[in-house]
Amino acid sequence: MSEPAETANQIDTKGVVVGLVGIYIAGISGIPYLAFLAGIGAIFATKMGADAVRRVCSYGIGTGVPSIGMLALGMGVIAAMFGLAIGKMYNAVFIGPIVGLVLALVIGFVVGSLTNRIIKLNIPVMERCLTEIAGAGVLVLTGFSVMVAGSMDFAVIVEKVITTGYIAPIFILGALGILHPFNANLGPDETQDRTLVHSYSCGAITMAIGGVCSIATIDPIAAILSIVIAAAIWYVNFMGFVRLVQRDAGAGYVGTGLLPPGAM
Amino acid sequence: MEPAMGMGLVALMGAAATVAGCSEDLESDIGSQSNPNSQVQLAAQVGYPHRIFNKAISGEPPSNAMYCAVGAGVAMMLLNSMSASPLLAIAVGAFVAALLNGVFSTTAYMGRNASQTRFNQYVYLDVLRNHVLGIMGHAYVTTFCIVGLSYVMWNQNLIGHPFPFPVIAMIWGLAVGAIGSSTGDVHYGAEREFQDFKFGAGLNAADSGNITRYAEAGLRSSIDNAWFCSKFGGPVTGIAFGMTVFLDNWRSTAFQGWTAVVAGTIIVILIIIYNRYLELYARKNYGPYPEYSGDVEA
Amino acid sequence: MIDIITMLATHWISIIGIVIGGICIAVGVHFVPVGGAPAAMAQATGIGTGTVQLAAGSGLTGLLAAGYMYKTLSAAGAVGISEVILICATGAVGAMIMMTTTMIVGNWVYIYGVGVPPASAKVEYDPITKNSQAPYVAPGTVGQGMPTVCFVSGTIGGLLGGLGGSLVYCMLMWVNGDPAISSIFAIGVFLVNAVLPSYNIQGTIEGFHDPKFKRVPKAIVACFIASLLCGIIAVMIPGTAMFGGI
Repeated sequence: MSEPAETANQIDTKGVVVGLVGIYIAGISGIPYLAFLAGIGAIFATKMGADAVRRVCSYGIGTGVPSIGMLALGMGVIAAMFGLAIGKMYNAVFIGPIVGLVLALVIGFVVGSLTNRIIKLNIPVMERCLTEIAGAGVLVLTGFSVMVAGSMDFAVIVEKVITTGYIAPIFILGALGILHPFNANLGPDETQDRTLVHSYSCGAITMAIGGVCSIATIDPIAAILSIVIAAAIWYVNFMGFVRLVQRDAGAGYVGTGLLPPGAM
Repeated sequence: MEPAMGMGLVALMGAAATVAGCSEDLESDIGSQSNPNSQVQLAAQVGYPHRIFNKAISGEPPSNAMYCAVGAGVAMMLLNSMSASPLLAIAVGAFVAALLNGVFSTTAYMGRNASQTRFNQYVYLDVLRNHVLGIMGHAYVTTFCIVGLSYVMWNQNLIGHPFPFPVIAMIWGLAVGAIGSSTGDVHYGAEREFQDFKFGAGLNAADSGNITRYAEAGLRSSIDNAWFCSKFGGPVTGIAFGMTVFLDNWRSTAFQGWTAVVAGTIIVILIIIYNRYLELYARKNYGPYPEYSGDVEA
Repeated sequence: MIDIITMLATHWISIIGIVIGGICIAVGVHFVPVGGAPAAMAQATGIGTGTVQLAAGSGLTGLLAAGYMYKTLSAAGAVGISEVILICATGAVGAMIMMTTTMIVGNWVYIYGVGVPPASAKVEYDPITKNSQAPYVAPGTVGQGMPTVCFVSGTIGGLLGGLGGSLVYCMLMWVNGDPAISSIFAIGVFLVNAVLPSYNIQGTIEGFHDPKFKRVPKAIVACFIASLLCGIIAVMIPGTAMFGGI
């Protein structure tokens, strides 16, 4: 694994700040045409989660990368629903995402401590990384739910996202967006910039599918706007990923051929 | 709902599940997904570069859950906003899921091989081109069948399950992935991946990473794994998933309350007894390994 | 704060139920015989997949069965403790059926496809059938397939996983009455309670006869704390019906 170009703190700050700003603008304004901003915030949160997975899995936790992604969204869905419900119960919907984020960080820290203290995995970065992963999970879930529902009101989200079931693709695509970038780039020549560009493209796919689902829940024109923006983000980052693969594979990026010399 | 209609629906769901299980297993065999992929990953590291498709999306349960949940989500959107007919909605949803499969498979192959450059593992673009469409096709069949059977389970006029439609599809996607990973992948991993080793034993730890790279004509290509595994691994996975869907829904449709629980327990006990019979058959007909040199009596 | 306290006070039984459900799931994960990647190459005993994947697959199949039974029973009247027991039994049987069909078909592949007799390298004699194991282990491997003890252990694991998931679902339905919220929340709690034990197991376990099984108490403590936290959070999420008056 190469030296990171962006530090963990920079990525976390961007993830949390852009995530929350996107969610709040989309949720509070209530304008369907701004709903895509919540999706963009969630893409940055996906990148934060993918980087945390990258750091913790390099220690070899023995059980594989997919479980971490499922854990992230498991904790994320619990915290996100609680935060939004509290916001609705006290008639202050704007505290919803913040409460959800704080609770997710607490749950992530508790689970990380349980893993290190009681199960005795003794991985130094476990508490910090699980906290970040839980935070990423809650922001991803809240972001895409707000994008599909068009509002932060829990009653609207229950009616438009949970009862219809659109939360299922959001849940699983969010989990895959966090775990797939590192899993797909696993190997000794893995580089951080390639993994993170890949995480942008996975987040953009989730945003595109969220946009498709939102055709039924909010204004179709606003949904098409989300889909177009997500497709553009995906295309740019996918091409960036291919360029970085070419850079990293060097002479090994071939159109066709037999095995390398010496291996035939 | 009359009993005959209920039984008919359960049989339809079982048939769709069987097809879905078979195509799910073949899709993961072409791409070498999940656990046998650890040997493909290891091969380059121990000095055996190859032209096998290294599809490392995640395990099979999360990735199949994703295809089915996305397919059902898109289908739900079409049903709600455009009042499309269910069959059309499910077909379009499965198509979108297959496209997603193509994107994830491509990035997985390119990413994994680029991260093994120091072991002389190349990124072959023609391997990518030849395999991705076959993988997408199989994923389409899997998603169509599972989203179809979830729709039958969810629709209020048919079975009428209370969970939302995409949630049911996601759960069945998780189940088919878990079943495919446990059954058909063993046929691929122990037989096809190590085809030039002698039949009748598991992989010796000393041979780890020495996958079959030269095949029927020149270098092995993973596209032919579908041909091989469709002779045993694929259909058997289909039977496993079909049995799960059918038995579980049959006993809750044919019996009520505690009778259904007792019926299910009897099925489980019968399967345990059958397993014991199968184990005795294998021990008697195969016998102990001649290399064994310890004191335990066979 | 009044709202949260009222909900906590009225639904404290649900918290206990969710904790019990979480612990059942955690213990169930230890019973399922998982061989990981080596088992897919017939190099190790057990099912050739990951712990979380199989536990999640079987437990959530049980959850589907339980969800349908809950709807059938609630149409007939209120759902009390005896109905909850029936729903949990239904969920447990659903998960057991999935686990046993998976294992028997897995054994078909091992016996007919790969041509190996089921055997475990961790014990000399199978604890249930007293058959010898060591002569039937292929050279260079640590066992293959699923001998009877692993099969029975897997069945118990499926039972506990299905029971736990269904119990969590029923407790959540008592609180908010909405199947959509409860199912998603139950899936979240299930995944958290399945991943923590998988860290405990570190990848592979053969069942209750495996020495690793002695690590169960650590997982019980960890999942008790995690489920308590999730339970306290869960009972404070009301359903849409309760928002009508706000």
